[in-house]
Amino acid sequence: MRTKKLVSIIVLVLILIFAYFSYNTALSNFTLSDKTSSYLGGIKFHRAAAGLEEGFQIAQQENKPVMMYFWAIWCQYCARFQTDTLGNTQVKKILEEDYVLVAMDLDVDREVAQQYGVSYPPYLVFMDQNGKVLQRVPGAVEADYLLPIVTKIRDDVRRK
Amino acid sequence: MIPLGDTLLYASLAVSVIAIVGLLAREFKDIELLNKLITPTIMLGAGLLTVSYLLLTYYFVYSDFTYDYVWQYSSADLPLIYKISGTWAGQQGTYLLWVLIVYLSAAWLAWTTGHKTALSRRTQIITLVTGIFLIIITLVQSPFKLIIQRPEVVDMIAKGTLPLDFVPAEGNGLNALLVNFWMTVHPPLMFIGYATMTIPFAAAIVYLLTKEDGWEELGRQWARFTWLFLGMGIAVGGVWAYLVLGWGGFWAWDPVETASFIPWLTLTAFLHAAALHRKNKTTFAIAAPILAAVSFILVLYAAIVVRSGLFNSVHAFGDSSTGTLLLVFIGITTLVSIVLGLRRYFEETDIVEEDRGFWNKTNIFYVTLLLFVVLTFISLWGISFPAFIQLTQGLKVGVASDTKNFFNIWSYPFTIILLLALGFCLNYNEKQKEEQKKTLFIVIGLSIITMFLRTENFYVLDHTSPFWVREPAIYKMIGNISVISIFPSMIYAAWSTIQRLTDYLHIKSIRPKIKGIGIAIVHFGIVFILLGAIISSNFTQSMETVNIPLVSKGELVGIGNGYGIKIIDFSTRSLSETANIPKGVARISEIFNNPENYVSTDVKISGKVKNVSIVLSSPGTYTTYILMDDGTENLWVAAQANEPLNYQEGMEFTIGGFLMTNFRSNSTNTTYPLILFSTPEQIIQGTAAAGKYQVQSVQLEVYQGNSKIGSGVAEYLNSESGSGTFPLVDSSITGTDIYVIFQGLGGGTVPLSLKIIPAVNFAWIGIVLFALGIILIMAVRSKPKNE
Repeated sequence: MRTKKLVSIIVLVLILIFAYFSYNTALSNFTLSDKTSSYLGGIKFHRAAAGLEEGFQIAQQENKPVMMYFWAIWCQYCARFQTDTLGNTQVKKILEEDYVLVAMDLDVDREVAQQYGVSYPPYLVFMDQNGKVLQRVPGAVEADYLLPIVTKIRDDVRRK
Repeated sequence: MIPLGDTLLYASLAVSVIAIVGLLAREFKDIELLNKLITPTIMLGAGLLTVSYLLLTYYFVYSDFTYDYVWQYSSADLPLIYKISGTWAGQQGTYLLWVLIVYLSAAWLAWTTGHKTALSRRTQIITLVTGIFLIIITLVQSPFKLIIQRPEVVDMIAKGTLPLDFVPAEGNGLNALLVNFWMTVHPPLMFIGYATMTIPFAAAIVYLLTKEDGWEELGRQWARFTWLFLGMGIAVGGVWAYLVLGWGGFWAWDPVETASFIPWLTLTAFLHAAALHRKNKTTFAIAAPILAAVSFILVLYAAIVVRSGLFNSVHAFGDSSTGTLLLVFIGITTLVSIVLGLRRYFEETDIVEEDRGFWNKTNIFYVTLLLFVVLTFISLWGISFPAFIQLTQGLKVGVASDTKNFFNIWSYPFTIILLLALGFCLNYNEKQKEEQKKTLFIVIGLSIITMFLRTENFYVLDHTSPFWVREPAIYKMIGNISVISIFPSMIYAAWSTIQRLTDYLHIKSIRPKIKGIGIAIVHFGIVFILLGAIISSNFTQSMETVNIPLVSKGELVGIGNGYGIKIIDFSTRSLSETANIPKGVARISEIFNNPENYVSTDVKISGKVKNVSIVLSSPGTYTTYILMDDGTENLWVAAQANEPLNYQEGMEFTIGGFLMTNFRSNSTNTTYPLILFSTPEQIIQGTAAAGKYQVQSVQLEVYQGNSKIGSGVAEYLNSESGSGTFPLVDSSITGTDIYVIFQGLGGGTVPLSLKIIPAVNFAWIGIVLFALGIILIMAVRSKPKNE
């Protein structure tokens, strides 16, 4: 009886430590979005419908195209898409410098998704400053496929 | 007016109340009339629910879109099997199935026990209370809700845009991912598993409350049954994910699959506790019933996770407003279990047990139970705390940079310890204890040493993954453990199981023999599943997606690493075609392929208008030329009338007429190789070949160097309600699967990703062994030993 009690108490304590630790680790290391921004693949995005509105304002001021990224936490392909494709050094540089980035969480921002006809993640929608859809890139494409697209759209919007 | 289905539910609610009153009354006084009513009312309740389920099925089969649920999850063009399985596609239907099974269990309980013992009566009360609760939940979001009660429809009726008795002509359709065989078995297995947990739970609560003996016996078979169904439900879900969803693996720690796995773990713990409890009633006198209760509570929790949008999952097929009700139920059952458990705990402490040291079977079993509890907690915590953070702080967090990493690193060490415990327990022998301890210590030593072995990339976490650098220190520490460390304990467990099996094979008497074989088989199962899981997830070779142009059909295209893919054929079809195309409608491509079968006969086609041109062919006669497209090909149709026909591009028609070859029209100055002559009367609005579910399929051969290593068909399903990919899976005897994911034709190219996945077959073998073993155990009706 005593052995059992001892083992139980040790296990209980370990469980509590584990719970506390993993909770805080998640908060400090793996926050994907807060009220205003999303952090995906090491890139900061504006978030949700409000973020999109704000994004268009910035885009108009700075003459930049807008890239809207639809993701979901359960999406198996998104995590890799974020690190390998969006996180690709060349792609990332262009996105961060020359684009206004907005992230839409498919579990939360369903209305926006519906409005733009997006039904699955990952999904990219490129728009000009006025909200005109320039191109759609559905699915987890590779970086060498995306790079020419982001370059061309940037140049097209600049030229106008 | 209340729909018939709901009436049946209300009626079953009423008869259950009578049964409960009867059962409660017996606690105090025998009232004969009430007594006689108990069993028949329970049977009646089960009967009413059966009828209501059949009624729902009937509505689905006949596509009765008067009902919102039928409209939401079905459409007239679906094959029959998916109409039937549509009944469990959404929450409303699955809850009805759940409550039905609970009542069938209650009926079984009434039938087999006749409510002769206090235990059976009290168990029945709790079962029925659970049943009533589930009926109420089913009624709150009834599958029999009418379409005219749907908020949008109510609005439109109020505005006068829809008639009062509006019935849609066509259903919303089943989600594309659900249109496949696995869908027809996965949900019922799960919910039957959920439902059959009720009796073990009820009996355990009665035992905690009144110390009624025989509770374990009453619930035993049900618990095993639940274990089987829940386990197979989870397994089938894994097969589905592997074969259909294109996950490239069978387990991804998706919140929903994890949620169902959690009660299965505690149930496994319960079965272990019950095995010892059966032999000696003082052993695990609290742990066993508490584990049964916890399993039930976790089943309820799983139901919330599955059907609520809170736990962001690939399963988020429907929103739930019944989540709160379920939460209340969970709260009540948890509170009751804790209070009763604690009460029993303080009573039990009086029993002084002889301390036989740490190394005895009970203690090792206890460690096993704790390991199950720890594994349960890791999974439970991992799916719950992100939801908690989201609710309380509005932040969205991941549990790790890649969700599965969290579960893998934390579960891994405990899995090894569990295998060690398995190895020790299964072959436990009081007389050879010292020797066995020695073996155990050697295996522990080996496990620890092998943790530090360095390999190219065979670690708990993938070092080549882009996530690796970003992992926190402790994740890196556990992630750095070599997976070779699983093998000593795995071999030890397998060896013990073989020992145990040979022992049992020598037993003369047949019952313990069969049961022992069953136990051994189940434990082989776990070894196989772990082997399959670990090898397949660590040694899968994934090539980058390649876009092969469709024009290079028949050519071998290199895709790197010495692998190549050859596209043999590409085709598209409509899923409904096989079942529900109205008689006589021909595909245009088929007409072009075999014109001789159609020329000069009556032909009917169906599709969309792509182009229209109208000419005055003779004074007072207009000929309207319409280019029709049905998704397979284009065909010109000519229709003559006294006036120009007002057809426009994009309209959908079903057109009958007769087919002519090489028709020369002077008015349009064109020769039509094939043309369909029709009249305005034969042109009917609306398409018959509703291309709701379009399947693109590409036939492939996969090569390594110049030798063919696999072939088959990869498919991509596209529909209004989403898309799904059906990978090519070519298994070989050696257990290595060739796995090709096709993501749908785009711009004339076929995007394909190849994976070479080893050892998946081990997991399938393990699953089969699980089922086989538990069925053998269930087949033997053992008697309690201390009688």
